[in-house]
Amino acid sequence: MTIRHVSEVEFGVELPVFEPDTSLDNVRRFVRAAHWDGPRFTDHDAARKEGLPGALVPGIMSQGFLAAMIHRWAPDALIENVDTVFRAPVIVDEAYRIAGVVTDIDAAAGRVEIDLTVTNEKGETRVFGTATVRLPA
Amino acid sequence: MILDLHAHSIKSDDGRAKVQNYCQWIRTRNIPIDGFVLTEHRQFDNESDYGELGREYGLTILKGSEVETEYGHVLVFGVTPALQAEFDFANIRLPLRQVIEACERHGAVPVPCHPGRPRVGMHAHLAEHGVPEGVRIVETLNGGSRDEEDSIAQAMASQYGYRGIGGSDAHIVSHIGRCATRFPHAIHNEQELVAALRAGEFEAVTFRT
Repeated sequence: MTIRHVSEVEFGVELPVFEPDTSLDNVRRFVRAAHWDGPRFTDHDAARKEGLPGALVPGIMSQGFLAAMIHRWAPDALIENVDTVFRAPVIVDEAYRIAGVVTDIDAAAGRVEIDLTVTNEKGETRVFGTATVRLPA
Repeated sequence: MILDLHAHSIKSDDGRAKVQNYCQWIRTRNIPIDGFVLTEHRQFDNESDYGELGREYGLTILKGSEVETEYGHVLVFGVTPALQAEFDFANIRLPLRQVIEACERHGAVPVPCHPGRPRVGMHAHLAEHGVPEGVRIVETLNGGSRDEEDSIAQAMASQYGYRGIGGSDAHIVSHIGRCATRFPHAIHNEQELVAALRAGEFEAVTFRT
């Protein structure tokens, strides 16, 4: 269901789950566009030589995925804030699930708070955070 | 009675949850816990009184702390003004021995949390510092655990004869109650929580899906 107005939002409602494209090709395209190109993002072997478990999905790309999920749910939402805590690396070519759930609503201000989590296939939380969005009355 | 013994609110630097939203979430989602303990990082919240909020939602909301030692992070239950005068809760290199001895003197209970976690868990420091004296309880179920962290914690508890508690380690609303601790009797305040922990009458439980 696409959300247009704050009155349509209920506490505890879950946003449609988003499975991001973390493929090496997609990450390469992103880091080039963002001028963040570097082997730790684009080359598994080079990343492992740095002591990482594999090439990393950049944090700003993960935040972009979170914003994309919110806009799939509420295309007109103004994202005021995405506040993330990176607990473990998000690795290129691994499968992740991005979930969001509404945890606070200020109907008068048109403001909605959303819990955000990025989990891997084992269900472990790699990234968590919150977003504050504004929706029309 | 089931209490989530490890949760953070916006009072913690990395906490993103308002306490009222925890309550709303527990009731809206029918999370099978009867309350939770706010264990804010490196501090004790002397200001907040959640009594009225707890009554409104029919939940027990207690306060503790999570301090940092050379053995990693340690939950402290039963914090009093006298205990707060014993050491600096904000110090990120507290000697665990000092924390344990101060807790003993002031009737509090120290519990190393997520002990199987690299860097911030007790198990990672045993080779360097040895097995600490005075630890009786560790957190064997942590809602934020990854990989084999809980298994390492449980194996360590079994090896050294520690009892285990559970806590969600929630930092966002929707993570409250993922793990918790079951007690045989009702607990209404921090003193009763300390008494139940000292009596050893509890078990760690998980509600992770």
